[in-house]
Amino acid sequence: MTDAKALQQERTKLFEDVYDGKIPKRVPINVGLTLEFAIQYAGKDLAEMQWNTAALEEVFEKLCQDFFTDTNPAGISLRNPLHYKLLGARNFVMSSSGFMQHPEVHGLEADEYDAFIASPYDCIMEKILPRIYTELNTNPVQRSIVFAKAFKAYWDELISGGMMTQKLTDKYGYSPIGGIEVLTEAPFDFVADQLRGFKNITGDIRRYPDKVAAACEAVTPIMIKAGIPPHPPSPYGNTFIPLHMAPFIRDKDFEKFYWPTFKKLVDELAAMGYPSMLFVEHDWMRYIDYLYELPENTRMWFEYGDPKLVKEKLGKKHIIMGFYPITLLKTGTKEQCIDKAKELIDILAPGGKYIFNFDKGIITTDSVNIENLQAVLEYVAKNADY
Amino acid sequence: MMDLNVLTQAIGDLEEGTVLDMLNAFVAANPSEEEAQKVVGACQQGMALVGDLFDKGEYFVGDLIFAGELLTNAIDVLKPVIGSGDAAKVGSIVLGTVEGDLHDIGKNIFKSMSEAAGFEVYDLGIDVSASAFVEKVKEVQPQVVGMSGVLTLALDAMKNVVEELHKAGLRDKVKIVIGGNPVTKEACEQIGADAFTTNAAEGVKICQGWVS
Repeated sequence: MTDAKALQQERTKLFEDVYDGKIPKRVPINVGLTLEFAIQYAGKDLAEMQWNTAALEEVFEKLCQDFFTDTNPAGISLRNPLHYKLLGARNFVMSSSGFMQHPEVHGLEADEYDAFIASPYDCIMEKILPRIYTELNTNPVQRSIVFAKAFKAYWDELISGGMMTQKLTDKYGYSPIGGIEVLTEAPFDFVADQLRGFKNITGDIRRYPDKVAAACEAVTPIMIKAGIPPHPPSPYGNTFIPLHMAPFIRDKDFEKFYWPTFKKLVDELAAMGYPSMLFVEHDWMRYIDYLYELPENTRMWFEYGDPKLVKEKLGKKHIIMGFYPITLLKTGTKEQCIDKAKELIDILAPGGKYIFNFDKGIITTDSVNIENLQAVLEYVAKNADY
Repeated sequence: MMDLNVLTQAIGDLEEGTVLDMLNAFVAANPSEEEAQKVVGACQQGMALVGDLFDKGEYFVGDLIFAGELLTNAIDVLKPVIGSGDAAKVGSIVLGTVEGDLHDIGKNIFKSMSEAAGFEVYDLGIDVSASAFVEKVKEVQPQVVGMSGVLTLALDAMKNVVEELHKAGLRDKVKIVIGGNPVTKEACEQIGADAFTTNAAEGVKICQGWVS
């Protein structure tokens, strides 16, 4: 067996053990570096390179050479500009610096809630998509051509990117499990982010509370369907659910609008055999007892909050990730950065059910001091054995 | 004349229906400009209550967004009776989301709260270049420059604005506050801003401290 193959098996076992509730040999490291980071790190132009993804292999390989992780650090962007441009997207656009972002837009008007609740899929297809994706706002024949072109581009990019990263996964002996497989959203987040906008939803929950709750219910089956990975049930899979609105609303609004359908989503996926990986954005300490109620072994990647409290309340049931503040990688000394890693490992690693990751994705090279990032990853690799 | 305390409280409680009913009845009674200015003041005090409830952890960002919208709607109702005699501004702020970042919800919350506190706000929008900040500062000579961003890449863009203000000889003429998800004390020092906050209500208080 080659060294890479042996390394791959060893790394895969780290994740399998964590997901099986066993104590692994070492704390696994699952740090994904974004496509934008990779392009900048390789010294290429961000805006240009995203249109020329055939040249990405060299860019990805540099990450594999220079940053220690147990899963492949490289990956293509979920926000590929090609298909979004072909669709005339308003919800994902590129900034002047070449960074794809999600501006505040809405595709559903307040007086259309009833139509949405009656038939969310039809409403999305007929009303919402042509508003958010301007190139679809045309006659049915042209629309089908636009759709076909966009999804040809989407799949071409996905497949070629997947082939590149797969090659590197095998070459560098990364674990094929531990990463994200598919993405879905909590129903309230979907209604907020994609349909009504962050701003409108804050008024809607006061003006039409029952309609918002009904819209979340109506869209839940679609969110569940979107969250099923394309393979049979497995305790080692990850349906990614980036959580968004909960920390920005009151507890009573969370209870009424956010929690019921979010819990249903995670519960139903788990009942089918698909574990969820939550990005617990911002600070969820107000809701920590709710998080406990989710199915065992739900992966929870925390941004802010109290790691001690999380370990104490959730650490025996769920799998914890995150908390390491990437701003420290930018502003701290190497010693401070390593001390922080040690501090978090001391709190979160005992008893297993912990995977090392930062508090958020590292999106650009100027977000961190590269040497600090490398030093922390190396520290965890060498000093987090059980 | 309506009970101004009731109005202030209704704004603080974010009771949109009550607020708009009271204001519509007030405008229908054809009030004087002076009376109308008092009502505007009561609305502004209501926004201060909102800020206090946010500080206490009873309101959250979503409530602040709604409060900003409520205030805008309230002022729209009052516009026909406020007249042209603008109340004196307490100071001015040049505000924007920095280059590379398209997020503006936090910026807009800060904007509506600082306008409610009596500031003149020059909002440059999103993805604002350093040169656009410099040009606007030259033109309107504000007391405060406010920079916002959500992505971590915003921190370098903020630093760049501070450097460009230095080069233009304007840095010492303004106070600079930065806000948004990635800002920290350390980031603030590296950027060379005067203050940072992740709390719009606190940001307004910081600006009030500078102009008082």
